[in-house]
Amino acid sequence: MRLGISAKTHAFTLIEMMVAMATASAILGVTVTSSIALQRSFNSTDNYLATETQQIRIVDFLARDVRRGLSVVSSVDQQTVQLQIPKYIIQAGDPEAILNPSLIGTPRSPSRAIVSRDYNINYGAAPPSFVEYKVNGASIERWEDGVKTTIASSTDNLLPQTIDTELANTEYTTTSITFKPISVADRSGTIVYATAYLRNRRRPPP
Amino acid sequence: MQTKKNTKQTGNVLLCVLGTILIVSLIGASVLRNSTARLNASSNQVRAWKEALSAAETGGDIGFAELRMHVGSDPSTWWAGWTPSGTGHGYVSPETTFGSSNLRARTVVETCYFDASGVFHLGSNPDPNANNWYRVRSKGTAPLPNLKRTGMDDALTNDGLTHFAPIGSTAMQDITARSKGNSLLRKIDFQYDHFVATYGPNGDGLNKALITASYAPSFSRRVEQIVEPVTPFFDAAIKSATSFYGLGSAAWIDSYDSRNGPYDPTVKTNPASPYYKDSRHGSVEINSGIATIMGTIYGDVATNGGNVTGKTANVTGTIDNNVPFTLLPYQMPDTSTWAYQPLPTNVTSTKTLAPPSAGTSAAPIYYVFTSIGGALTVNPAVVSGSPVDTYVAIRVTGDISGGNAGVTVNPKVHLKIYFQGNISVKNNNLINQNPSLPNPYAGNLQFYGISPPAGTPQTINLNSGQPATLAATFYAPSADVHENGNPDFIGTVVCKSFYSNGNISWHYDRALNDEGQLLDFRIASYVEDTR
Repeated sequence: MRLGISAKTHAFTLIEMMVAMATASAILGVTVTSSIALQRSFNSTDNYLATETQQIRIVDFLARDVRRGLSVVSSVDQQTVQLQIPKYIIQAGDPEAILNPSLIGTPRSPSRAIVSRDYNINYGAAPPSFVEYKVNGASIERWEDGVKTTIASSTDNLLPQTIDTELANTEYTTTSITFKPISVADRSGTIVYATAYLRNRRRPPP
Repeated sequence: MQTKKNTKQTGNVLLCVLGTILIVSLIGASVLRNSTARLNASSNQVRAWKEALSAAETGGDIGFAELRMHVGSDPSTWWAGWTPSGTGHGYVSPETTFGSSNLRARTVVETCYFDASGVFHLGSNPDPNANNWYRVRSKGTAPLPNLKRTGMDDALTNDGLTHFAPIGSTAMQDITARSKGNSLLRKIDFQYDHFVATYGPNGDGLNKALITASYAPSFSRRVEQIVEPVTPFFDAAIKSATSFYGLGSAAWIDSYDSRNGPYDPTVKTNPASPYYKDSRHGSVEINSGIATIMGTIYGDVATNGGNVTGKTANVTGTIDNNVPFTLLPYQMPDTSTWAYQPLPTNVTSTKTLAPPSAGTSAAPIYYVFTSIGGALTVNPAVVSGSPVDTYVAIRVTGDISGGNAGVTVNPKVHLKIYFQGNISVKNNNLINQNPSLPNPYAGNLQFYGISPPAGTPQTINLNSGQPATLAATFYAPSADVHENGNPDFIGTVVCKSFYSNGNISWHYDRALNDEGQLLDFRIASYVEDTR
């Protein structure tokens, strides 16, 4: 004799169903929660690294300008830095470019003057290019002769602070930059330091 | 009894598990991908970019070291391993690979000079007595390991903006013409050298070409430095290591530039003169605090922590008491390439030198005397019946002294006297007639005091005589100088100590700035080509 099995016996009982649903819900909950946590962790890490990249970019921009600079002055609140750098490249609107537009973008030959019993090597007619770094909202801006470049922009409160120290014939800047990561409440542990010296003999600021 | 297994339930569980693993894996992969890109940007690219500058500056150091080797050395040893740059004005270094990151450096050193107006010229200074300047352009390259990728936030996108502004483009504004984010700052050469392709090898828009980058990808940075010669007579009428007193109360020190014409005594008080600026460089520098100013100084006074006394109100420029400097003992330069003449060996009475050939500034006609006690006249060499510019060097192993001792430099003679002993002569026995007696150039009669052993004094006494013009330069860092007369002095004195109470009219010639024995080199300017 063959015993037939009713299809109804394949169904779950209510208890089985509830246990299964509870287990599935728990597994799904854990999965979703883990995924969200992982995504948040990723976002935090990505955001931290992205902001750190901007920190380094700011100090590298500033250090490059200080190295080739002729003078540097930081403001009292240490938020703004003003430099003079040689006008090495002929730009549109420069006297040479007006006479010969094909010179735009080419390097300029230096000229020589004697000031205070020493040589000054100049590129182009005075004054040199004026460069200013400043904070504007969430952005760090670099202005060169009226042209703006946003070198960093972050909602993580990038806070640059620069001081300049004058020596007999040279000068150096010490910069620190912090930010407040989205994952933690304070800035501790996010600081980047940089020191850069003028390669040229220091000149009076404008 | 046989029961039927429900395989659908097993499949559902498997799918759920696989789906979960897929989601987690995707998130993990995304984290890894982004973290790697960030790490690449924040570590490898930053490091390589900084190392490229280190390599470029190393190239500059190599060029600078090569130039410093030229001081007082045999020219046949210069530029060993370097190749001509092709411009006819310079040399290119061999490519140097160094460091654990295989950094590469290459340098181009080109001879240049500045004319009286301060305008730059490539090539050697047309004045054979003047020292050349140099333009040192160096390129440093650092390989960028790992994959060819930029940072995540600065990829060059098709956004309609100009990322590489060509030569002549009005969009050129240094870095602002290129992209965003890190690419504004760090310009990676993924395949080709973007600089040569866009601006040409010299950055002047000429000879642009697609050149495969020496490393791909890599960073290259370029630095230009202007190197100046350190010369003995730069921008000071009197330079004393230990003390200064002078001049007479009615004396004055001013300056002029003989390249603009003869000395004019009215310029120093005439601001309307185009050469007024040149008249205010009659400066005095003392590397101590002992300075007594008596006459009028149309220039600056500088001391090393000093307290200037005397007629300080008669200094038209500034008094700066924080200007230390160093005067090293002077050594006889290398004479191996000079055209040595065995006779005569001394000057005890009147004697005239007739050099057999013209010589050159670098390889002059060379005599060695034990002393000069009489009147020495130096004539120019005669070529094809005509006198020619003649370069003569005399080494005196003893003193230049005596009532009749003196030197006369005739037109076209450029004379340098290296003395080991002392000088005691009358002002009017030092006669410089090149180019002419009324308008002599001090650079044509140069005295160099070879420093004696430490503790041994060396003196230069310029004694009173008939009023005359004394046009000469003295570089004697170990000598005590006494100017006992009141000549019309054109030139400069660099010494250990200086004393004079004569009412001298002293004129420093700014044409001496680039003249004299090359002492060393110094970097006068640094600029990075950020394109």
